[in-house]
Amino acid sequence: MASAFGHFGRRSIQFTGFRRILHYDPCNIVQRSTSEIRSFHLNRNVDASIPVAMPALSPTMTEGTIVKWHKKEGDPISPGDMLCDIQTDKAVITFDIEEEGILAKILKAENSKNVKIGSMIAVMVEEGEDWQNAEIPESSESSSEASTSSEPSSAPSAGEPTARIRMSPAARKMMEEYNISSPQTVPATGPHGMVNKGDVLKYIQTQHLTKIDLRKAAQVPPSPQKSTPTTPSTPTSSPVTRVPPSITVSPEGGYQDIETTNMRRVIAKRLTESKTMIPHSYVSIECKVDAAMKLRKKFIASGTKISMNDIIVKAAGYSLQRVQKVNSHWSGDSIQIQPTVDISVAVATDSGLITPIVRNAAELSLSQISSTTKALAVKARDGKLQPQEFQGGSFTISNLGMFGIGEFSAIINPPQTAVLAVGTSVLKPSAEGKPCSYLTVKMSYDSRAIDETEASQFLEKFQQVMENPSLLMV
Amino acid sequence: MFSLTLRQISRNSFVGANVSAFNVSKYSTVPEATLDIQKCTLHKLEHGPPTQATVTREDAIRFYWDMRTVRRMETMAGNLYKAKQIRGFCHLYSGQEACCVGMEAAITRDDAVITAYRAHGWTYVRGISVLGVLAELTGRASGCAKGKGGSMHMYTKNFYGGNGIVGAQVPLGAGIAFGLKYENKPNICVTLYGDGAANQGQLFEAYNMAKLWNLPCVFVCENNGYGMGTSVERASASTDYYSRGDYIPGMRIDGMDVLAVREATKFAREYALNNGPILIEAATYRYHGHSMSDPGTSYRAREEIKEMRETRDPITVFRRKILECNLVTPEELKKVDIEVDKEIDKAADQAKKDPEIPLGELYNNIYIHPDPDYTVRGCDPSIRVISH
Repeated sequence: MASAFGHFGRRSIQFTGFRRILHYDPCNIVQRSTSEIRSFHLNRNVDASIPVAMPALSPTMTEGTIVKWHKKEGDPISPGDMLCDIQTDKAVITFDIEEEGILAKILKAENSKNVKIGSMIAVMVEEGEDWQNAEIPESSESSSEASTSSEPSSAPSAGEPTARIRMSPAARKMMEEYNISSPQTVPATGPHGMVNKGDVLKYIQTQHLTKIDLRKAAQVPPSPQKSTPTTPSTPTSSPVTRVPPSITVSPEGGYQDIETTNMRRVIAKRLTESKTMIPHSYVSIECKVDAAMKLRKKFIASGTKISMNDIIVKAAGYSLQRVQKVNSHWSGDSIQIQPTVDISVAVATDSGLITPIVRNAAELSLSQISSTTKALAVKARDGKLQPQEFQGGSFTISNLGMFGIGEFSAIINPPQTAVLAVGTSVLKPSAEGKPCSYLTVKMSYDSRAIDETEASQFLEKFQQVMENPSLLMV
Repeated sequence: MFSLTLRQISRNSFVGANVSAFNVSKYSTVPEATLDIQKCTLHKLEHGPPTQATVTREDAIRFYWDMRTVRRMETMAGNLYKAKQIRGFCHLYSGQEACCVGMEAAITRDDAVITAYRAHGWTYVRGISVLGVLAELTGRASGCAKGKGGSMHMYTKNFYGGNGIVGAQVPLGAGIAFGLKYENKPNICVTLYGDGAANQGQLFEAYNMAKLWNLPCVFVCENNGYGMGTSVERASASTDYYSRGDYIPGMRIDGMDVLAVREATKFAREYALNNGPILIEAATYRYHGHSMSDPGTSYRAREEIKEMRETRDPITVFRRKILECNLVTPEELKKVDIEVDKEIDKAADQAKKDPEIPLGELYNNIYIHPDPDYTVRGCDPSIRVISH
């Protein structure tokens, strides 16, 4: 008597006091029935631990994240208890468990992501068993998966003795191309035993097959990484190597997928926004830059290294001070003329084009502009720019002179209203017949904020000061 | 001392049950006992069912076995659904086992039963094996409808399903009773519906016809407190479902007590065969949500479910009662538990592995007893297949 009741008695001690009705139980039998808990879909041995598998809590769920466990190891579990919260493809749903026992081990901790349906997430043991030393049943997921995948393929063949191998049209084509003579050898993972294109691709990779048709010869080797619109770098700064984003070459050849970085995506978004929302208009002018080049040489001779770009920046700053309309922001309704001239200088980095700002460019000396620009360019290439160093600005200059580009148009950087695209200097005969260096600049401006006259006035001033750089000393 | 084989006890024959005879253990057990039942609330009835029920040892074990089977089978169905072996609809009966087991105990196999979509428990008690139910849910050939029907379309002799449309089965039930009376059979039709369907118009049309022609129909409202997610207070102006039949007499019984259900159904059967329709409201409770897509916790507190599980669970309450009265011993019940679990695990394994029906079955079971050369057109006019 004692031994039989002892088993029950122990459990009643565990739960007495939980519900008052238990106190009236004359046979001291707890209301919980003894049952051997089974979890059918993972192999189990009688008297061994019971595996708990990841449930599909919504019909479209294939994997989920375990958000929170409501039970700790060693907690008793009764049918209907909350076991854990699972993030499905739709919402966070609580997984109620219908089994009874003790939670022995939690195999997937909180915040485990991408747990596949059917994989083991915990182990339970029956009440009274030693949960601390519970053995983890060998996960026969691979075997059960293999068996489930073979079941659907065996099911139709069991019904129809002469079942064809089902394959998708793409898979069939690939098999022909790669000369896979016996389709049965390709392991199928599609529904009802269908061979997918992915299955054939995997088979090709593992078997190292090669195509048998002529297209193989025409496979283009992967081209170099830089696909950013090339932008100026100051001649004296050295590019810092950065890890380029990965390229995947598809085995069929002919095209490459370049993974986009976050920066590229942001650039793409902003450029699209700008080009579609802002009515761009263009004016260009040619400047004789001999005087400027002579000035530069003089500076270099006296020890200060400045570049053509620095002179251009200063010239633009000077002009912006005089044609203030161009130094503005478009705020949707009104034109905000900026108090200072902050010029964004376009710098090319491995991950994309970024525009650090030379603040108060009109008041800085040429050497100051030079050192600021250089420092900013280095920071930009190292990815160490602070937000205030590249956000803001009232005007942008983009220089492709070092690539030999004669003339190009740039895209405005909103909320700015204009951008100046600077080309290279070309030797051309002047009106008098002498060979002179001419530099073409083209300004893209926001027609909502700036009209043709103002734009032209700006460029006129710019040309004036580029051809007479002594004006910059004022 | 007497021995008993489990085969004799359980009504359903099951394959592969190596059951040895029970030996009475150290405790002596009594062959039968009388237990108290809660008094029923009556509507337009002078006397109701008795307040005491006598249950024999065999019956006690059989009820326990059947209820545990239904419970375990529904749990298994839920697990299979979560493993994506069962798709589509799945409405679970856990918590309401006493209704189907108790009522089946009071009627014969010649009486008809028709119910709604929460029908797995009823399918089992009406004679389909656990494999027949689980394989039907997983859509395999060993299912009771060859896998063609699924959760809501399980049928057998004198069991008319398995009906998806809410409340549609009640006029059908009245019709079945009409047929039984027409053919002068001493049988009734038990027509079940839920508290959600109780407000459907066609039920009142069915009540009218049943009362007008004194059909041997027992209407049963399985009131589990929630119509999908709406509680009865928010759905019905009158939650006394047993009185909703108006001129049809009715009673409210404790649907979680298998003996109360049995006694009430016995009483109602007697009444229906002699006096016409009668209405039973079985106050019961479901633990799961409305279906597998409903967690069941957004419209009711977990504490409520927990409390019901602990204080009014039909299986544990019945178990306690029969142990108290020494009708059975704990070992016997444990043996039942083990056997039931084993049987259902086996059925579930088979339900996962069995093949689906071949594609040719698409054209069969359209007509009953068609001519041997009867052909049916396929999706394309050029396809014609012989239909069996």
